[in-house]
Amino acid sequence: MRRLLLLIVIAAFGAQPAQAADQRPEIRAAIEGHILPGFTRLATSADALAEAAKAQCAPASPPLRAAYQAAFDAWIEVSHLRFGPTEVDNRAFALAFWPDTRGATPKTLRRMIADEDSAVHDQATFKDVSIAARGFYGLEYLLYDQDLAGAGAPAYRCALIIASARDIAATSAAILDDWRGRYVGLMTDGVGGAASPYRTPDEAAQELFKSLMAGLEFTADARLGRPLGSFDRPRPERAEARRGGRSLRNVALSMTAMEAMATVLAADHPEVRDHVASAFEKALHLAARLDDPVFAGVNEPQGRLKVEILQQSIRAARDKVANELGPALGVAEGFNAMDGD
Amino acid sequence: MPTRRGFLASLAAISAAPAPSWADASAPDYLAAAQVRDGSYRLYGLDAAGAPVFWLELPDRGHAAAAHPTRPEAVAFARRPGDYAIVLDCARGEQVASLTAPEGRHFYGHGAFSEDGALLYTAENDFDAGLGRVGIWSVDEGYRRVGEFGSGGVGPHDIVRMPGGGALVVANGGIATHPDTGRAKLNLPTMKPNLTYLDADGDILEVVEAAESARLNSIRHLAVRPDGLVAFAMQWEGDIAAAPPLLGLHRRGSAAAYLVADGDGWRDMRGYAGSVAFSGDGALVAITSPEGGAAQVFDVETGALSAAYRIADVCGVAPADDHFLFSSGSGWIGDARRGGGGDETLPAWDNHLVTICALA
Repeated sequence: MRRLLLLIVIAAFGAQPAQAADQRPEIRAAIEGHILPGFTRLATSADALAEAAKAQCAPASPPLRAAYQAAFDAWIEVSHLRFGPTEVDNRAFALAFWPDTRGATPKTLRRMIADEDSAVHDQATFKDVSIAARGFYGLEYLLYDQDLAGAGAPAYRCALIIASARDIAATSAAILDDWRGRYVGLMTDGVGGAASPYRTPDEAAQELFKSLMAGLEFTADARLGRPLGSFDRPRPERAEARRGGRSLRNVALSMTAMEAMATVLAADHPEVRDHVASAFEKALHLAARLDDPVFAGVNEPQGRLKVEILQQSIRAARDKVANELGPALGVAEGFNAMDGD
Repeated sequence: MPTRRGFLASLAAISAAPAPSWADASAPDYLAAAQVRDGSYRLYGLDAAGAPVFWLELPDRGHAAAAHPTRPEAVAFARRPGDYAIVLDCARGEQVASLTAPEGRHFYGHGAFSEDGALLYTAENDFDAGLGRVGIWSVDEGYRRVGEFGSGGVGPHDIVRMPGGGALVVANGGIATHPDTGRAKLNLPTMKPNLTYLDADGDILEVVEAAESARLNSIRHLAVRPDGLVAFAMQWEGDIAAAPPLLGLHRRGSAAAYLVADGDGWRDMRGYAGSVAFSGDGALVAITSPEGGAAQVFDVETGALSAAYRIADVCGVAPADDHFLFSSGSGWIGDARRGGGGDETLPAWDNHLVTICALA
C-alpha cells in the first residue's frame, strides 16, 4: 500500500518531496526578487500617500492624486500574491474591495459622510469600518467621484480622506511586517515545521504557481470580464477603477508584475521561460496599443473586439503558465485539483 | 470494461421490459463522470468495486450526477457554470431528455430527486440578483420545469434530500459568481455561507451559519446518513495557516460540530475538501482533497481522525459496506485500505462518486 501510494505521488509531482528549501531555489528567488520588493514598494508608497493626504486633503490636490495613483500602482503589482499575510485579518479585502457587485463602497461612504461617522478620528476605530469603504477603491470615490468628492462638509471629507490613506498605510505595513517576520520563514527554512502550512518545498512552490494562475484568471475574468459583460449587454460602468482612469493601467501593471514572477519561477527552464515571457509580451503589446483607458469602447462592436482580443491573450498566457511552467516546476495540478469545484 | 456496442446489444433484449429498473442497467452501485484518454467525456456506471459496468458519452465535462430512486435514469450536470443537464436512460443507453436552465440562471452541477422520484431539484444561480435558487422539474412530464424557490443563500452548490420525508438540505457556498466573469469570485470580502434546510415547498426549516471567524469557509458538498446526520465539506478562502476545519457534522436542531485532524494533519488538505461521504455502516465520515492529494477519515462518534491516505488528485468518495470507495483524477479507484494501482487505461475520474440508492 505504502509503495503504491508513493508511486502515485511520484507520478503526480514528478519528484520525491525535497527535504530542504534549497532544493527549490526559485522560492527564495521569488520572495527576494519579487514578493518582498513588491510589498516594500506598497508600504513605502502607501506611507507617502498618508503623508500627502495629511499635507493636502482636497480631492483634486495634484500631490495627493499622484501619491494615490503611485500607491495604487504598487498594490496592483502585488495583487496576485493572495496568500499568507494578505489573507490575515481581512488585509487584502481592506485594501481592495473589488469587485463591488452591490455598490457597497459608495453606499457606505455616503452613509459615513451623512452621519459624520466619528471613526475617522481614530485609526483603531477606523479598522472596524466596513471594509467596503476602506482601501484604494473607497478612496477612489472620495478623490474622483463627482458626487462623493463633493458630498457633505468639506472638513469631514478631508478627515475621511486622511483616515482612509492612513489606514491603507497601516494595512500595507502590516502585510510587509508579516512577510518579513513570519511568512518568509514559513515558505523557506520553516517548511515542514509545525507552524508552516507547507509540508514540503514543493507545496510552497505550488503556492506561488497557484497565485500566478489565480492572478491571471482574475485579470482576464474580472478586470476585463466585468466591463465586457455579455455581447448583448456590455458593462463599461463596471470597469475596475474607471473613476481614477486606471482600468487598462491595472491590467498592464498586473501583467507586467506577473510576467516578472513567472520569469523568476522559470529561471532554471530557459525554454519555458521564453515561451511564457513571449505570451505575456503579446498581451502587454496589445494592452499598450489599446487606446481605451477605461474600456468605454466595449459598447461598440469594434472596441469590444479589441478588449476581447486582449482578454484572449491573457488567457493564452495563463494556458502557457498552466501547460509549460507548471510541469517544468513539477507542480502541475491534477484533473480535479485544477477544477477546484 | 464492456464496449458500448456490446452494451447496447445486450440491452436490446430487455428494452421491452415494462418497468425498467436499475437492474436493467447492469445494476451499477455508483455513477461517475470522467474524461477518457482521447479527451472525450463520459458518464460511467460502476459496480461495488468501482469497475465500470456501462458508460455513456457526455457532450462536455460533467460534474456530479443525480440518480433516480427507482428508474434507471441519471441526470448528468455540466460543469459549473453550465446551463444544461442531460437525462440518460442507463438501461437503453440513450439520452431521453435534457434540461436547460431558464433565462438568467445556471446550474451548479448538483441535483436531487424527491423521495418518490416525481420531481428533480437543481441548485441554481440567479446570477443577476446574485442569489441561489432551487429549480423544480417534473420527471413524468419529460423533466419540464415547474417552479423554483430560494436556496436560502448565495452560491448553492450541493443539494441532498433528507431521509424520510420531503425536506432538502442545501450547501449555500456563499460565493457569488456571474457567467460573464467565469468562475471569478465576486464577493469574497462579504461572503456568508450557510447550510439551509428547506421543505418541499421551499419554506426554510433551519439555517446553520458559521461564526464570523469562519465566514471564509465555503460550504460546498454534503452527505446525509439515514438517521438524518448531515456532513458538510468546506473550502477555505482565507489564510491556510489558520488551520481551518473542512468538515462539519450537523443534526437538525443542534449546533454543528467541526472536525479537524490533530497535530499538523490539517496541512495535508490544503484548505480544501472536494467531496464528503459517510461509510456504508455510517460509523465513519471521509473528506477528500485533490489539492492536497489526501483523504481523511474521521470517527463520527468521537470526531477523531481515524485514518489518512495519500492519493494523488483524489476527489470522489462514496459509501462502501463498512468503508469507502475513493476515485481520483489520476485514474485510481478503490478502497484506500486495500490499495490498488493508478491505471493509465482507466479514465480520469471527475469530482464525485454518486451512490445509486435504490437497487430495485
